[in-house]
Amino acid sequence: MATTITIDPLTRLEGHLAIEVIVDIDNKKSKGNQLVVVDAKSSGTMFRGFEMILRGRDPLDAPHYTQRICGVCPISHGMASCLNLEKAFRVTAPDNGRIMRNLVLGANFIMSHILHFYHLAALDYINTTGVIDIAPWVPRYVTPDMVSGQTAVELVNHYVQALTIRRKAHQMAAIFGGKLPCAPSFVPGGCTEVPKENKIDDFRTLLNEQRAFIDSTYIPDVLTVAGAYPQYYQIGEGCGNLLAYGVFDLNASGTSKLLRRGRYTDGQTGTVEPAKIIEYLKYSKYTGGNKNPADGVTEPDVDKSGAYSWLKAPRYDNKVHEVGPLARMWVDNNYSRGISVLDRHAARAMEAKLVADTMVGWLDELVVGEPVYKESTIRSGSGIGLTEAPRGALGHWITIRNRKIDRYQVVTPTNWNASPKDDLEQRGPIEQALIGTPVADLNQPVEILRVVHSFDPCLACSVHMLRPGRDKPVAIVHTRPSI
Amino acid sequence: MNVTRRDFLKASAAIAGALALKGSVLMQLQKTMAAGGSKPPVIWLQGQGCTGCSVSLLNSTYYMTIDQLLINTLDVKFHPTVMAAAGGLAVGAAEAARNAGGYVLVIEGAVPSGEKGDYCHIWPGMTMLNALKTFAQGADVILAVGTCACYGGMSAGSPNPTGAKGVDAALGRSGTSVINIPGCPAHPDWIIGTVAALLAGDTPELDDEGRPKVFFDTEVHKRCPNRALGGGQAAVLSDVGCLSGLGCRGQQTHADCPLRKWNAAGPGELGVNWCVGARNPCQGCTEPDFPDGMSPFYHLKKRI
Repeated sequence: MATTITIDPLTRLEGHLAIEVIVDIDNKKSKGNQLVVVDAKSSGTMFRGFEMILRGRDPLDAPHYTQRICGVCPISHGMASCLNLEKAFRVTAPDNGRIMRNLVLGANFIMSHILHFYHLAALDYINTTGVIDIAPWVPRYVTPDMVSGQTAVELVNHYVQALTIRRKAHQMAAIFGGKLPCAPSFVPGGCTEVPKENKIDDFRTLLNEQRAFIDSTYIPDVLTVAGAYPQYYQIGEGCGNLLAYGVFDLNASGTSKLLRRGRYTDGQTGTVEPAKIIEYLKYSKYTGGNKNPADGVTEPDVDKSGAYSWLKAPRYDNKVHEVGPLARMWVDNNYSRGISVLDRHAARAMEAKLVADTMVGWLDELVVGEPVYKESTIRSGSGIGLTEAPRGALGHWITIRNRKIDRYQVVTPTNWNASPKDDLEQRGPIEQALIGTPVADLNQPVEILRVVHSFDPCLACSVHMLRPGRDKPVAIVHTRPSI
Repeated sequence: MNVTRRDFLKASAAIAGALALKGSVLMQLQKTMAAGGSKPPVIWLQGQGCTGCSVSLLNSTYYMTIDQLLINTLDVKFHPTVMAAAGGLAVGAAEAARNAGGYVLVIEGAVPSGEKGDYCHIWPGMTMLNALKTFAQGADVILAVGTCACYGGMSAGSPNPTGAKGVDAALGRSGTSVINIPGCPAHPDWIIGTVAALLAGDTPELDDEGRPKVFFDTEVHKRCPNRALGGGQAAVLSDVGCLSGLGCRGQQTHADCPLRKWNAAGPGELGVNWCVGARNPCQGCTEPDFPDGMSPFYHLKKRI
């Protein structure tokens, strides 16, 4: 018999998220009497109305407002905002400014990836009974498949070490960022901080410590978990399409990037043209029609019939796409094993290594005494800033009129991954990834957590509209994810 | 989990500097801890925020590191970002702690009051507004962490689409019933320093905005190292000099950032940088009228 499971709040992610799944025996996917997820709804989100708050403000304020959209990936929002303003201003950052911004962003990628694996995801795989038996690590799910014994002790010790390592990654980012979270030095036209020999040296020392941890601890621990859970190479595939805007500009124009822009759709590689992104609203609590973010509006409609989420549903060329480290590594030809829960963790860890190792060279490219910033502004114009957050493709669209922000639209990675169904009745990536997932114990649905956490969702406030055991939405769900 | 109570006491002993809490408070705290005082239960609820204050707390080193805080000092019954439990198991932990009473209630993020609070639900059937009112009743003390929780902050920026409020305003009480620890994000030392004082039985002296005076009694500008440069003004961002002509809010902003700075390397150490240190104006993020009263953040000379 079909049973509905609601996990709300779905903890250990940034912000809150509610997931509702229906489990049943599926003739195609179940083995024996095994229960699997046959339907899934992801309702996340929060509504602060950031896009409405930004309207009418000074465009130069946008990098600092938008960094407050997310306390885990503020740097990515600062980067997207600087990039869209630089497009609008028709200015590029001097090399020093570009490189320092990349270094701060890279440091935050490392911070976020380590935080994600150890502090957000790992507890889904470890039986910590007898290792750490106090709150906030109890209460907890304990399932027979969790690793225990000496492996659990080691992983918990690494969890504690990783708290220090991620803190030091933020310390490293603050050298050129000013402070973390939310780096004041990010401005359109470059960076306000300046490179000095002692700062570069301090950064290098901290970076090497990060690299050592990634090589000696993070990657081996991901392999340990993978070794204990090989079935998760077959679970959580999802839509199978991947999209990346690319990140870490290696030249002033951004035509060269460390991780390239691209797409993998229906088994074929492709380019990314922002005009082909449409945000669908059929199941989202908005009016205003399906639009490209450049023309997007945010008009809430609380009572919209049939809508079950406050997330819009962004699609590329009408197709569902997953974003994140796996998408970036895949389109950049750094990873091709497959698409699954474990592939996401593996690609994320490999990306942390790639970024950290590459950053060493960027430090060598900084030139003490050379410019970091070019002052600029414009009366009216528009720009698109496409970059990547640790958890996936991030875009900001701005229109400026008479020195004021006329329109600002943000499409976050979690907009893509946690999106509801679209007008073509296609489910979002997390919803698709959940379907087919076996659930052994209805009272401890840890398998759901493993699938959802593999996407590293980032929302700021959870709202859920569905209650267990009922078919229809009963509570108002609000807002857009993370903004 | 190798951190011991002894480690914590050692770290605490390293604190009694000019920036720290009164030495007597720390000694009291150490006595309490050494006597095996029980860890106070904490319920940490997140409303309309960005989790930035929680992430900032993870960066703590000066008074104690986050593992020392979580393992040896506090009994964190509910924190959505950190806790192992999810769904009903997590909600049950929060409810059990509430029923037991005598807890520290920490609020991160603003509390939306529009649409009867429906702009933020924290679990099935529970709006943030309702949760605040419900959990406030049994709390020994309420800490509003970050400018959103204190005064509405970014979430309440004009036109404040969701009716976002700070904790005090959302509770609708008169007088200061809440300790405000503002900042966007709040500095980890401000959070932990306040908690340490409370654990030691000390009531922090608050200013008119409900902020502990020990951290927020002096304007940023008064302690700004750029003053020592002789009053020379920076002409553009990234220049050396006073940033007041470029929009710096240091003269209106109360915080000890110029001394404490941010993202310290280790216990008892000062931070490695701060906003003005990175040659960017102070944005006034610890003040009740942030962001509306503090922006535009920049007063650039070059205008088209």
